[in-house]
Amino acid sequence: MQKVVGDPRKAFITGNEAVAWAALAAKAEIMFGYPITPQNEVMHYWTRLAPKYNRKFLQTEDELSAGFTTCGAIQAGKKAFTATAGPGNVLMQEPFGMAEAMRLPLLAVIQQRGGPSSGTVVYSQQEVTLTTFGGNGEGHRIVYSTSSHQEIFDYVIKGFNTAWKYRFPVFVLGDGYQAKMREPLEMYDPEDRGIEMVKPYALVGLDGRIGETREPQHLCNIYSLEEELYEVVLKIAGDYDAMTPEVVEYEEKECEDADIIVVSHGVVSRAADDAVKILRSQGIKAGYFRPITLRPFPQKQLREALAKSGAGKILIAESSYGQLERLTKQELYGETVPIKSLLMPGVGIVDSDIVNKVKSIM
Amino acid sequence: MGEYASGKSEMAVNRAIELKNKGHSVTLVDLDTVEPFYTLRPLKKKLEEKGLNLIAFSREESFGLGETGAMLNPRARWALMHEGDIILDIGYGVNGARTLNLVEGAQESKELKVIAVVNYTRPMTNSREKIKEYIASLGRVDAVIANTHLADETTVDLIKQGNSEIIKAAEELGIPVDYIAVEERLKGLINEENFKVPVKFIKRYMPDAIW
Repeated sequence: MQKVVGDPRKAFITGNEAVAWAALAAKAEIMFGYPITPQNEVMHYWTRLAPKYNRKFLQTEDELSAGFTTCGAIQAGKKAFTATAGPGNVLMQEPFGMAEAMRLPLLAVIQQRGGPSSGTVVYSQQEVTLTTFGGNGEGHRIVYSTSSHQEIFDYVIKGFNTAWKYRFPVFVLGDGYQAKMREPLEMYDPEDRGIEMVKPYALVGLDGRIGETREPQHLCNIYSLEEELYEVVLKIAGDYDAMTPEVVEYEEKECEDADIIVVSHGVVSRAADDAVKILRSQGIKAGYFRPITLRPFPQKQLREALAKSGAGKILIAESSYGQLERLTKQELYGETVPIKSLLMPGVGIVDSDIVNKVKSIM
Repeated sequence: MGEYASGKSEMAVNRAIELKNKGHSVTLVDLDTVEPFYTLRPLKKKLEEKGLNLIAFSREESFGLGETGAMLNPRARWALMHEGDIILDIGYGVNGARTLNLVEGAQESKELKVIAVVNYTRPMTNSREKIKEYIASLGRVDAVIANTHLADETTVDLIKQGNSEIIKAAEELGIPVDYIAVEERLKGLINEENFKVPVKFIKRYMPDAIW
């Protein structure tokens, strides 16, 4: 495949465009999709660019179909992806469940919007629960929550590799603000950064005779025996737990001596980062912790940050009514540190919101 | 008009305020048919306070409409019937001048000028060939504004290099370049005589448009 970016240089683009360019650079072969705000420009730019780079696109009749066609293409050995949001993410949970069951290296970009609703398109961080644990299964998936356009670009590329290496579905989580806002980033072809892209491989139609020259693939999505399902889920859970230390990612700042640790993810962590700097300049020892992987959660790392700092409080800041809070609390089971929250569904959080909240609880 | 995120709205707002400050009566029209509730909405009040007549949905008007798909503000359709100077901010860009089909009188108007805003840091317009290909795809283009920037990361070298490629592309297409737009804060660093076309220093209003 031809190079996409060439000489690395800064570009001024939206988050959605960053997805399309990153997927091209990551050598994705086909996108399946159905239009939904705020991810539309992922499709718009992919369809503008795909013919120039000999890639493919199929607009399906709905999100269920987009998810399942993605699953199908992947089984045929194509590096395929999709992007959606809100109710589209709800519909795609069925194909995402198939990807979990069949261990398909599916990549989906989710640009979160508000809820509860089928039609609310505005910014929010209310698809955390859905994206991490949305299916009728155990949430055996990898969810990267990005905070900048550079990260969207980096994690789409990385996400394809994680998916094809470990064969768990991978989600790159953004939101309506990230999708639409413009900021500079540096685009690059992965090979120029020494990143080797995992080559896609077919899961069906393989050569050889089953039982003679090769093992069966066992691409199964339906189990009719309870004991069989039990064994399969435990095997998947075992693989997931073994993979966790290799894929878990987080960002931590100023936690060594922190009296309070601010936990946030995605675009809100930009406000948290600024808030911690402001608080420090005012003599308040605040720390910053951001899970980059919401699934698997950096549980060990957050517990370590608490232990080394001896922080007396945690503040969770998010643009939802407790989705990150719930995720964090279950991961911190057994810790006795008080957890306070700044929950602002639907609206953006700025540094002063966090600064004021911290001061009110210290 | 121009590529998504090229700086169309910023150019439109700056031009509107410039004309207003000269004593003109100015109507600024948000003609974004893809995201009619986003672009100028957050700035509406602020711009109206400056004395501009703004045709854009306000927060109150869009409240409760949710995802209504492509929607044209009825007042935008008749915008050219206003007296004074009229600036149409044609959002999104992919349809180019064809969006003007929605505006009554646009095809007949002798005063209408269609201007393409080009930012060299946009991946679809980051070489002379791509700029020419892009401008040619827009349909009618009467002039170009060279608006190369990287927001807070704009450098003097980038302004020089990017805009000279835009100017060359426009020359090769036989389309005049109205001016180079440069953010005010870089004023002391730019030698205007180095460019073949006028340099206009602009203020950034769009960073306030977080929706």
